[in-house]
Order: sequence, then C-alpha cells, then structure tokens
Amino acid sequence: MSDSHKVNILMVDDQPAKLLSYEAILANLDAHLIKARSGREGLELLLKHDVAVVLLDVSMPEINGFEMADMMRQHPRFQKTAILFISAVRMSDLDRIKGYQSGAVDYISVPVVPDVLRAKVSVFVELHRKSRELEHLNRELETRVEQRTRQLQESENLLRERADLLELASEAILVRDLAGVLTYWNAGAEALYGWERSEVLGNPVHEILCTEFPVEVTSSESTLVNLGRWDGNLVQKTRDGREIIVASRQVFKKEVGSILEINRDITAQIRAEEALRQTERLAAMGRVAGIIAHEINNPLEAITNAFYLLRNHPSLDEEARYYAQLGEAELARVGHITKQTLGFYRESQHPVNVPIAGILDDVLQLQGRQLQTSRITLDKKYFTDGEIRGFPVELRQVFLNLISNAIQSMPHGGYLRIRMGTRWNELNGRTDLCISVCDTGVGIRPEHAKHLFEPFFTTKSTKGTGLGLWISKGIIQKYDGNIHFRSIVFNGKHITSFRVIVPGGGPALKSLDTTHHAIADETARASLGYA
Amino acid sequence: MHNPSILCVDDEELPLTLRKLVLEKQGYRVISARSAQDAMRFLYGHPVDLVLTDQVMPGGAGSELARSIKERWPHLPVILISGLNEIPPDAMYANLFISKVEGLAALCATIAALLSARCSL
Repeated sequence: MSDSHKVNILMVDDQPAKLLSYEAILANLDAHLIKARSGREGLELLLKHDVAVVLLDVSMPEINGFEMADMMRQHPRFQKTAILFISAVRMSDLDRIKGYQSGAVDYISVPVVPDVLRAKVSVFVELHRKSRELEHLNRELETRVEQRTRQLQESENLLRERADLLELASEAILVRDLAGVLTYWNAGAEALYGWERSEVLGNPVHEILCTEFPVEVTSSESTLVNLGRWDGNLVQKTRDGREIIVASRQVFKKEVGSILEINRDITAQIRAEEALRQTERLAAMGRVAGIIAHEINNPLEAITNAFYLLRNHPSLDEEARYYAQLGEAELARVGHITKQTLGFYRESQHPVNVPIAGILDDVLQLQGRQLQTSRITLDKKYFTDGEIRGFPVELRQVFLNLISNAIQSMPHGGYLRIRMGTRWNELNGRTDLCISVCDTGVGIRPEHAKHLFEPFFTTKSTKGTGLGLWISKGIIQKYDGNIHFRSIVFNGKHITSFRVIVPGGGPALKSLDTTHHAIADETARASLGYA
Repeated sequence: MHNPSILCVDDEELPLTLRKLVLEKQGYRVISARSAQDAMRFLYGHPVDLVLTDQVMPGGAGSELARSIKERWPHLPVILISGLNEIPPDAMYANLFISKVEGLAALCATIAALLSARCSL
C-alpha cells in the first residue's frame, strides 16, 4: 500500500513513555502514528491531518481526555472521528464513555493489553478506510451523475435545436404511420397546405390532402416498405381547394413503423416548364406549317386546275360531271383548310388602313345563310368603325374564325352578340380597340379552356382542324394585341365570349347610323379585293 | 381585237400545263416557259400582255425574273404566284404577289383586273 493510502493514528498522552509504548504496539499496523503530549497539541494536529483514530488518555492535566473529546465533537469535521479512550477502570468513566451516543467510541482499560489495543485500533482503522472508500465512491458517483446530467442536457438542447430547424424549414415535413395517420406536422406543412397542426394530427393524411399518386397507392407504399424509401411527385389539394404539385421524399422507419415525409411545392416550377414547352411547341408548329404549306399548296393548285378543266369538259355526261363537281367541292374544302391553317401570309408588303367594321360585316354577310338556317338572332353594335393599320385578309380570317365558331356552337338557334368599341388602356396609356363576339351556344368546358389556343385542339369532333383559334391568336399577337375568352353559365345558359383587343383604336366615333355602315361596308369590300 | 396573251413560267411541268389549260379556257392565249432564262429569251422576240411566274424555281426565282422584265419593259404586268407563306423580300418588282391557296377564282380576277387596268392606260 502506498504512503498516501496510509491512515493516521493520533495518540494523545501526557506521558511520553506511554506514547512510546503505544507506538511500539501499533508499529505493525501500517499507519502513520502521530504523537501529541497534550489535548491542545492533539487538537492542533487533528486540524493538520486526516486522522482515522484518536487514541486518547482520559487523565491528562489541563485538558483531559473527555474535555478534548467534547471539543472534537463540537467540530463538524471531527464528529465522526473514532476515539479510543484509555482509562483506569472507574465506573464514572465508563458511564461517561457510554454517553457518547454517536460516533465511533470505545475504551480500553489500563493496563493496556497490546493485542487488545491493536485489535480495537485496527477495527477503527478498517472502519475509517471503508468509509473513506465509500466517500470516494460516492464522489465518483456524483461526478458521473453530474456528467450524465450534462450529457442529457446537451442532447436535449440538440433535440430542441433540431425541432426548431424542422419548424424553420419551408418544406412540409410530416410523420405518419402506414395507415397514413399523422403524428407530426411542421410549420412548413401548415403554411403549404393551410391545415393547422391541431386539425390534422391523428387523421389520415391522404384523405385530407386528396393525394393523387403517379402510380397505384399500394405499389408506392410497398416500395416504401420494402426499399425503405420512395421519391416522386404527388398532386395534392390545399385547404382552400387549390391543386398543388409536390416533390415528395418518404422514408420508412421499420423499427417504429412510421413514415417520414418531406414535400416541396413545385407547382410554380412545373407550370413554368409547361409554359416553356408550350411556347416551344407553338414555334415548332409554326415552322412545320411553313414547310408543309409549300409542299401542299403546289400540288393542290395543280389538282384544283385539273378538276376545273375536267368539270367543264364537253365530253362529260351529266353523271360524270356530277362526280367531277363532288371532287371539286371536296377539293375546295382542302383548299379552305390549307388556307386557314397553312396559308396565313401577309397579302401585301405594306399595311393599309383596315376598318374592322367592314370586315365584320363582310364576314356576317358570308355567314348570313348559316345565321338564318340555324335561327340565330344577331345583335351587333359598333361604337367605332375600328380602323387600324394592317392586312385585311388575315384580320378577316380572325373574325371569320370567331364568328363561325360561335355560329357552329348554336346549331339549334341562339343569340349572337357583336360589339366593337374603344377602351382607354391605363397600363400603357393608349387606346385599344375591343371587339367581342358572344354566343349562347354549347359553351366551353373548363378543362378545355387552357388548351383552347393550342394547335390541333378542337371540340368539334368531326369538323374543324383545331388550328383556327391558334392561328387567330398568332395573327392578333402580331398586332401586339390579344384574344381573351370567358365562358359562364347564366340562367342555365352557357354564354361564351371572345374578346379581341388590338392597340390603336383611334378616336371613338359617335354611334354610327346604318347609312354609315353601308358606306363602311363598301370601303371594306373594296379594300378586301385582291387587285 | 386579239385575245390577251400571257406568258406562264414554272419549272414544274404538270402544274404549268394545267395552269396554261385553265387560262386558255378563260380565253387567253398562253405561252409557257420552264425557267426564268427561257422566259426572258422568249420575251425579246415576242411581246405579251402579262407574265405569270412561279416564285420558287431553280436557276432564277420569279421575283428576280420580275426585276429583269421591269428593267427592260417597265409597263409589262408581272404576277408572282407561290405556295409559300412568306412573301419574298424582293417581291416589289412584280405588280402583285398572290398565294396559290387563294385559288383559281382569285387568280383569274387578279389577272383580269391587271389587264383591264393596263388597257385603260
């Protein structure tokens, strides 16, 4: 055992000879033996050393053994220090010794029997050693508890930090079980979907969000369970019914049976990509149209000429002439389509003044028979003659498209309303010309609305090329204008309205009378000629 | 009073023949040429009332032919006919540009209008 582990034994006796004898008796106990010649010296030494046992002579001058023991007991440090009194066997002494209730106290009578003294001292030494060890263990335990507490505190801080981070994320972060029942819903989810945490926790997530999966739900869930993760885009609905597209990453935690899900709103991004693709498609369509136009128009002209010659040939009998006429009529239809779809060119190099009123009347006159047979009531009002700089043929094509679409949507009668006027455009500080064509026909279904101006889109299953509105929009856009449409249900009737807006409406005229119209008609028709 | 004569130019034989026949049905005298060079060669020896030329031809576009004609005979009417959507940038040398999609009636009306305008000069 090293020196530092040796215990101290304080021996207090006024007789040096006795001290020497105790020293001899206790020499083999492997302890430091400290000698004191008086109670006072003993107390001083006590303060300096950590003493395991005090061997205390009861009868000493000045401060006797009992007095010193009393002093020790008053000091908190020495209350439990073991004391072994050495006394002559006197009854009064024994009673007093028994009075020390607490603390380790024993006595040994004179004459001292060396073995007894050694035995008693070593018991106390052992006791001291044990209690010291215990103290040490206790301290160690306390240190470990403290350390552990600190670690717990740290990990708790970390968790709180992570939780704060989850709340900071703009992504919707949620935790659910395999049945979809939600157990966590972060602030990002609240913001994205509009549902408060308290409203959704404990409820099935896909029911709340009306999730549309790109694949079967069962297949995505089985991927999740088998591979532990699933990535993909989902279509979901927010609280206010808005449809959004989210990029979803899901992880399955097998041990707890829960699914961690992070959903990022990519609706705007997808829409932008869609718009870009759309633009590219339109541009490609335009190029294709140009190429096809040339390849079709040349043979078409030749065939048309051939049919013209055939129809008028004197050798044909009635029947053959009838067949030739049928062929020619169908050919005219092909010609009409290519003209409508592929043939929008500018008929002259320089724009001229075109009164839109004249164009509208010209188109309406062309469609006059159709209006009559379909029993359509026409209501037109022009608040201006709508003269703009442009190319009459292509403008005529726009209004022919809009008006014939309106007429075709009302095969069983209806109401065709045409209005033209000017409007001050606050945004760019110029006067716009507005022409609206309104019908009470079959209407346009909302799902068709966004495709309306796309090439090859048509609601007429048999007739129509699906290019009319696309071309019309293209033409009007060349004029820096636009075509808008609205379709509403009013009193059980569909009302569909197309509105063409082109800049440069010129000054608004007073309401025009019919004579004015007739004049406008004449000018328009004259300017529409090819010569 | 002789029938007006038209020089019809096109590199493609079939459409050229058919166009010639149709115009003859309308009462015109029609001479056909298969290229801009042929057309110019013919015009030096034989005056006509009107030239109707296709735009897209190998060895000389219709608009170039129009330019050569106008340099030599500024009052001879020239009509450009084309299956293309785009009007060629030098189309202004011709009196008129007309797309093939406009059809036979439009073409005949144009020719008649140009000829009558010339007569009234």
